[in-house]
Amino acid sequence: MSYFLQLVFSGVVVGSIYALAAIGFVLIYKSSRVLNLAHGQLIAAGAYITYILTVWVGIPIYLSFVMSMIITFFLAMSVERIFLRRLIGEPIISVIMVTIGLMSIIDGVIYLTPFGSENFSFPAFLPTEPIMLWGTYLSYTQVVGVIITFVLIGAFSWFFKKSTVGISMRAVSDDQMASMSIGISVPKVFGLAWATAGLTAAAAGGILGNIVGLNFDTLHAFGIIVFPVVILGGLDSLPGAVVAGIIMGLTQQFASGYLDGNWGLNGTADLLPYIILLVLLLFKPHGLFGTHEIERV
Amino acid sequence: MATGNYFTTYREEQRIFFTHIDGLLFALFLASFFLWPFFIELSSKYMLILDNILIAVIAVYGLNLVTGFGGLISVGHAAFVGVGAYTVACLAQIIGDQHVVITHAWPLMILAAGITGAVFGFIVGLPALRLKHLYLLMATLSFQLIFQWVVGFMDFFNQGQFIYVGRVFWFTGEVGRSVHYRFWYYVLLVTVVMLGFGVRNLLRTRYGRSLVAVRDNDRAADAMGMHPGFTKVFAFGLAGFFAGIAGAMQAYLNRGAGFETFTLHESIQYLAMTIVGGLGSLPGSFFGPAAIKILDLQMENLAGWAGNVLPSSLDLATGLRPLSFGLIIVLFLMFEPRGIANWWRILRSYVKLWPFRY
Amino acid sequence: MKTKRFSIRLIVSAVVFMLAMPVSAMAEDYMIGLSIAITGPTSDAGNPYSKGVEDYFRFVNDNNLLGEDTIDYTIRDDKYETAITKRNFEEYLDMGMVFYLNYSTGSTLALKRDFDEVKMPTLPASYHAGNIEGSDYAFLPIASYSAQAIGLAEYIVDHHKGKTPKVAMYVHPSAFGRAPVGDVKKSVAAGLDMEVVEVVEHGQDLDVTGMLQRWKSKGVQYVISQTVQSPVATMLKGASRMNLVAKSFGQKGKITFLGAHYTGGNDLIVLAGDAAENYYWTTSFITTSEESYGAEAQVALAEKYGRNDKHANSHNYAAGIIVAEVATECIKRAKAKGKDITQANLYQELLEIERHERLLFDDRGGAGDLFQRRSPGR
Repeated sequence: MSYFLQLVFSGVVVGSIYALAAIGFVLIYKSSRVLNLAHGQLIAAGAYITYILTVWVGIPIYLSFVMSMIITFFLAMSVERIFLRRLIGEPIISVIMVTIGLMSIIDGVIYLTPFGSENFSFPAFLPTEPIMLWGTYLSYTQVVGVIITFVLIGAFSWFFKKSTVGISMRAVSDDQMASMSIGISVPKVFGLAWATAGLTAAAAGGILGNIVGLNFDTLHAFGIIVFPVVILGGLDSLPGAVVAGIIMGLTQQFASGYLDGNWGLNGTADLLPYIILLVLLLFKPHGLFGTHEIERV
Repeated sequence: MATGNYFTTYREEQRIFFTHIDGLLFALFLASFFLWPFFIELSSKYMLILDNILIAVIAVYGLNLVTGFGGLISVGHAAFVGVGAYTVACLAQIIGDQHVVITHAWPLMILAAGITGAVFGFIVGLPALRLKHLYLLMATLSFQLIFQWVVGFMDFFNQGQFIYVGRVFWFTGEVGRSVHYRFWYYVLLVTVVMLGFGVRNLLRTRYGRSLVAVRDNDRAADAMGMHPGFTKVFAFGLAGFFAGIAGAMQAYLNRGAGFETFTLHESIQYLAMTIVGGLGSLPGSFFGPAAIKILDLQMENLAGWAGNVLPSSLDLATGLRPLSFGLIIVLFLMFEPRGIANWWRILRSYVKLWPFRY
Repeated sequence: MKTKRFSIRLIVSAVVFMLAMPVSAMAEDYMIGLSIAITGPTSDAGNPYSKGVEDYFRFVNDNNLLGEDTIDYTIRDDKYETAITKRNFEEYLDMGMVFYLNYSTGSTLALKRDFDEVKMPTLPASYHAGNIEGSDYAFLPIASYSAQAIGLAEYIVDHHKGKTPKVAMYVHPSAFGRAPVGDVKKSVAAGLDMEVVEVVEHGQDLDVTGMLQRWKSKGVQYVISQTVQSPVATMLKGASRMNLVAKSFGQKGKITFLGAHYTGGNDLIVLAGDAAENYYWTTSFITTSEESYGAEAQVALAEKYGRNDKHANSHNYAAGIIVAEVATECIKRAKAKGKDITQANLYQELLEIERHERLLFDDRGGAGDLFQRRSPGR
């Protein structure tokens, strides 16, 4: 039983990081219909900025976490301003390719720094003994990570439901023309959407970096996992992203826990998300919570 | 060269070469590609690069068909190329890599790889019956990643390790090391030319036109009596065919197949080549691969040169590669979304009309 | 029309840029090429390795260890992609290379036949036993992964108290990782008293507690790893959180973690922190934390060329130095015998360097150090 519970807890921890990463993705899609393939790179950038602030500048980690979120906020906003503003109205493939190009650009910039090829690790700032809960082991970093994730998710939900800015973002994602006629500045909202995505990316990166260590390859691969998660949840649904993230995390843990080792299988945790993605796309492309666009071919 | 159009029949309008001189010039141009190796000696490295560019051209033919003319974004193209390469390699693994079929019947093998690629293309294209745009992209992405996992994992593919393919035989005997790259250059050139004519003609057929119609507005196309779903699936099949051929060529050129050459990174490179070259244009299929591969090379040279000038800047230099790759994509999309083919078009019209201005 | 002219100018300048040929370097003496992943996968090992090679060759040239001649070394980044490695190899051949240094397992296997065909002596950074099977021209500078894994297995059997030890293997999902598994199983079949409970090929896992719990329930006592540092760090951190790491070798009820060359080193300590305590790591190199002449020389070399602490103390830096040393030694010996420096002659010299031989490098009038290294094949 404790084996099962351990898998569940690990799944929730990993899943909430997925959820945090997915939220940023969904935010951008929701407001501007842009698939941001460079999201993994933003997460990595956020992680490295947090590291720089903590270790090289010497700010305590709580503060540097928040500061890196703010810095990435502006970074993402400027990315949108410089690269994507010109592409409003172009066919979708151009925009996706621009994000692919952005992916390579951020990659290149990271390689120019020593982060690209070396390993770093955050200094431990929480006690390292495990927490025992019903026969399972949890680390403080993991618990803190989950808590931060849910706090942020809660904050965003509130933000979108109650604050003016949030409501205007939802309006823009619904119907750009109508929102322009009310007086909402659509380009500004786009910029804001990207900036908020940058914020969540930095948070996800900071948590991820603490749990796994800063290895660019690992962070790189993380960016691709986000896709099955957002499709599962529905490309334009925030609660969907959260639920899907947790489900994906659990599925991966169960796969490696119960499938691996039997029938000569190995590494199924890497394969399963994409099989799920494929199956979903064939039968329910809008995911669990996405809006169903009726379009017959 | 004609400076203007004066057609009196529809037949004339549909010709590929408008005047006899056009055709003659083109024939001379082609001939120069066949003849220059006799006059200029290129080192193995550059021949290898040239061969790789030609292989990429073949692959990009397919991708251009599906993404450029068909409007269906495919991020799994490297997987199709891989399918082609592994067709040859797996057969080599089963019957031995020096077996007669591999070394003597290689044109047949290449064709077979193309057909296998087409079959997989059909299969992957099936979601196109129900999905559009982004969702189709995700489907191709998942195919790419599943392909990567399967190849890396199954023993049938030697778990991703390199599978050897022997040297081929031509009428004059075995193609040895010194002539290997030259030989494949000619084979590739012939294939590129043939397939190029094929693509150009495809767009004049009924299928080609229905593909473009479906891209522009598939509901209207449906109303006109075309079958959009089938058209899309067929497009994927064709893309798979081209990719399969490219993959088999790659297997023979590198004398083997290893899984690192068919990753997501490669898929993105093919997409970049298509876009930089010019989506949906035949000359674009040539310019794109050439531009991207030469850019890579020049970055390497720049890095080497910078390494001599600045002390331990090897880190600096090697970050330049992805940076320049990304920058060129972004800059083209921002300022020249129609790609290098647009430049070619401007250049051609300038030359055609010279010394007149318009 | 202004835009048209601008477009034409832009096109022409782009064409010129594309066709610009590099200015070729002046012809120098012995050309040795290295193609390595300085960025891309496993670059955390490749980067210091390349610096080790570079620094040693610079040392040779600066101190005239080859008399009047110098070594013209070229180091290229292949990003772990076999296609780029192949291209680099061809280019080095065109440049008249006499000795080749490679890096990744995949490309070494792919180019094995090329080495034989052009008769190029090669030293890869991959210690995969399969590299030397069926090839006469690839050499392993240190013990192969299989030898290391079997060595660890034998160590377990020798030091385990109790019945047959239960061992799991944690490997990288590639040829690099799978190589020792087959060989370890063969030695078990040949009589090594050990039970291989499970072989796990890891993925990009962020959390392996499930796997660790499963091992615990199956009674696994030892884990032999053959992968790179990052996954091992994840595993160790997870195990230490679950209080599973043995404090002494073979401690009952806990798991003792062991690993081969690329699993450990300073990077592991950086990544795993305290969890790396009590990890058993095998390699053919003496680390800089121990008292040894070679280790001191390594740190001195790094200091001389301004490398940071991390690189100076990295075993990958040492690995780079040693392949450069072996190549230089071959050239030295060939020169001493009055032979021309060609591939064939260097190959002969390489064959003659015997196991357990000590290679002494003299300092001829420079600020260098005496280098002393355990030779290839130990």
